[in-house]
Amino acid sequence: MAHGKKNRNVGIIGIGQTRHSSHREDVNQPEMIHEAIAAALKDAGLTMKDVDCIVHGNMELFEMIHQPDLWHTLGTGAGGKDTFRLTTGGTVGITLACASDNLVASGMYDIVMAIGFEKLQEGHTTGGITNMADPLWFRNLQTGALTGSKAYDLIYEFGEERAKKVSMTYRIIMDKHAGLNPNAHRSFGLDFAQADDLIKNSPKLVGDLKLIEMCSQSDGACAVIFACEKRAKELSKKPVWVRDHITVHREEVFNIFGYDDKYPAAQTQRFAAENLYTRNGITKPLEYFDVFEMYDPASWWGVDWFRDFMLLKGDEAVKLVEDHEIMIGGKMPVNPSGGVIASNPIGATALLRMAEAALQVRGDAGAHQIPKPVKHALASGFGGTMWTVLMMLEKELNWQEA
Amino acid sequence: MSEEGQMSTKNTDKDSFAVQGKLALPYTYFAGRVGSKFLTTIRDQKKIMGTKCPTCGKVYLPPRQVCQKDFTDIRNNWVDVGSSGTVVNFTVVRYEDRHLARKPPYVIAMIKLDGADTPMAHILDGLKPEDVKKGMRVEAVFAEKTTTTILDIDHFKPEAERAKTGWRPKAARKPYVPEPESGIEDKRRGGKPDMSKPVIICAALAGAATMKNQTPAVPYTPSEFAEDAYKCWKAGAAMVHVHAREDNGMPTHDHERIRTTHDAIKQRCPELIVNLSSAVGMGKTAEQRISQIVAVKPEMASLNTNTMNFSLLDRKSGKIFIDFVFENTFTMLQDFGKAMEENGVKPEIEVYDMGGLDNTMLIAKQGFFTNPMNFNFVWGVAGGQAFRVETFVALMNALPAKANFTTCGVGLDQFPAIMQSGILGGHMRVGLEDNIRMPDGELAKGSWEQVEVAVHAAECLGRGVATPDEARAIMGIHKR
Ligand SMILES: [Zn+2]
Repeated sequence: MAHGKKNRNVGIIGIGQTRHSSHREDVNQPEMIHEAIAAALKDAGLTMKDVDCIVHGNMELFEMIHQPDLWHTLGTGAGGKDTFRLTTGGTVGITLACASDNLVASGMYDIVMAIGFEKLQEGHTTGGITNMADPLWFRNLQTGALTGSKAYDLIYEFGEERAKKVSMTYRIIMDKHAGLNPNAHRSFGLDFAQADDLIKNSPKLVGDLKLIEMCSQSDGACAVIFACEKRAKELSKKPVWVRDHITVHREEVFNIFGYDDKYPAAQTQRFAAENLYTRNGITKPLEYFDVFEMYDPASWWGVDWFRDFMLLKGDEAVKLVEDHEIMIGGKMPVNPSGGVIASNPIGATALLRMAEAALQVRGDAGAHQIPKPVKHALASGFGGTMWTVLMMLEKELNWQEA
Repeated sequence: MSEEGQMSTKNTDKDSFAVQGKLALPYTYFAGRVGSKFLTTIRDQKKIMGTKCPTCGKVYLPPRQVCQKDFTDIRNNWVDVGSSGTVVNFTVVRYEDRHLARKPPYVIAMIKLDGADTPMAHILDGLKPEDVKKGMRVEAVFAEKTTTTILDIDHFKPEAERAKTGWRPKAARKPYVPEPESGIEDKRRGGKPDMSKPVIICAALAGAATMKNQTPAVPYTPSEFAEDAYKCWKAGAAMVHVHAREDNGMPTHDHERIRTTHDAIKQRCPELIVNLSSAVGMGKTAEQRISQIVAVKPEMASLNTNTMNFSLLDRKSGKIFIDFVFENTFTMLQDFGKAMEENGVKPEIEVYDMGGLDNTMLIAKQGFFTNPMNFNFVWGVAGGQAFRVETFVALMNALPAKANFTTCGVGLDQFPAIMQSGILGGHMRVGLEDNIRMPDGELAKGSWEQVEVAVHAAECLGRGVATPDEARAIMGIHKR
């Protein structure tokens, strides 16, 4: 894959998010967005005047409004500024970050603000998802955003007892993390002792995917401010540097339930990871990264994709989950924020992964800050029909010297 | 965009209102030429087609206009795929929602149809969710009423037993052990048939006259013969009967072509008995007919017993299309029979009427035929006898001691003839040489599909299906 060198470095200098919840009936869409914008500007010590360009994104059709970027001008502060609207499905949040990085790195703008939001309560998620399905082949057969075959795959690979247990362990870890994050939508105070009971009693949605294992539907927004190296150093005491990112798209809807070994399409998770690490000279991601904010729509996928993103084999990833090495304080903390299972305002969700990873690099994550210093962080986005975006963040600008 | 329902306000939070609304969004989606052909072929022909990439060889289903891998334009490169396939993965929908296709719980499976490289999603019905397994075989059930949508395939269901190809019937019975001292006369005491032997099923793959314009399933090339023979063996055949063909379909007496065809079958399926024709095709000389048998030395070969009309007539009007005399003099019967016995080729004695059987018994007085003799009662040739149950019994009763009999019928006679043979303790020959159709009148997908019918018939009679080695033991054939 041809990939050019960055024209100039880009730093993250402001991060803001709303609290995420099932109902934000106290604010309308621009008002909710404004909360995140105000928080990001305050974090960066800037005013709207300092921002050159707005990149706006959400899930098209989920709120049943057209041109949301125009509706939201009052909240985003985009009046009179260059604005782009992006919508790439579940990945959109982190696509906003990739685009902002590219816009600044290119020299087109010095300061760009990315804003991702969703008010899922206002629209019809399944209606929106069903619109994603090809009307010729698949719309009549859609099950919405729910798929159960990953559970089947892991049960097939690791046996029923171990697979179900590791999925629930992952789920409980996410719940414990969410309990430390004041912005998280859901935290039930689950404990590992409840695993067997939850395995038995949580209602099944699709296949062995249980209600407790699936991500939430949330309302919320996230805003992140990106600046060129010169401005970042002037404006921020601790900018977080965007090292590299990769986006892998693939046909097609039919594969959403799984794939055949002989089918030509690659799994985008592992494909993205292998390509990104190769061009950055990283051979052992598990050793290199200090923290990983992963877009995990359900605990089954969380377990399986952790294996792919860390280039692990066999049951290495399962063991790390079983040994709680993905907890805050473990070898590779995954989603100290609680992840997507805790909060899922979709258009903001993938941007939150990057924002939370950047907070970890800065050491500003509060109660869910991991105890060791964070120099290298990884964030992922997921969407469409198994699309993947991966982004690497750095504390220092020293990787280019190597 | 139309707006339905009433706008209303509802007090849902202390001091915040939520505006309730509802939108109904009709839409039109243009299927494109590729998508249109896919849907209309399912609708009009109940046939599923994909597109094949000539660059990488992948067959896409549903069809695409370009290859995902190499971007080759594949819009005109249509191929048929089967309506049966394998479950690659699946999921069970357990939550209830109005938009769902069925009432839960129901199964959506990724199904890779035979001949396709990409799986497609569809509903899998007709079994309990807990019985679905990766790798299970399923087949399409087409909708009775068309909607010109993907739901013209109404759903998939577990593949019916009849169409379960690829697996020989399980031998849940004791292996057949020959009793050399007992002949059919001893066993059929009191008019009771001897049903102790498993049924030897022979597939006559091509003959001299079945052409690809009648059925594309008929083999011409050695590799086509080999593949077809293999499928027949998998379905339950112990023997294949072969007339070798040129690439253009003409029957041939060329030793090299016949040997190549014979060897290709043996290489693909070493266990199978290959039975070569000594008739070859119309207008061949006696020398051309027997020299190839001596040269190739198959385990078995056909031996024809009387000179007769062997013609092509319109069965409805009686109009003659091709008139031909099939010459089999006493001298030929003697010389061919001797040549076969001397070369270790077991003759399959073709009986087109009682006279042929009598001719054989006259020549048999010379004493060169080895026991057991194996007869094939042939029905429905224009020039030979038509199938009649009394004639069948008469032929059977005229057989010498220890002889075996099998039967084949042309066209509609095929299935009734093998049924009667089965009931009387005889064996069965099917295949596209004799008949290109299934009992329901549909074109057979191959000789193997008729073999499945024979297997079913044999199993219904409780006789089981002979393995090739059991067939050798019964017919006195020495394996090469
Ligand atoms: Zn190709």
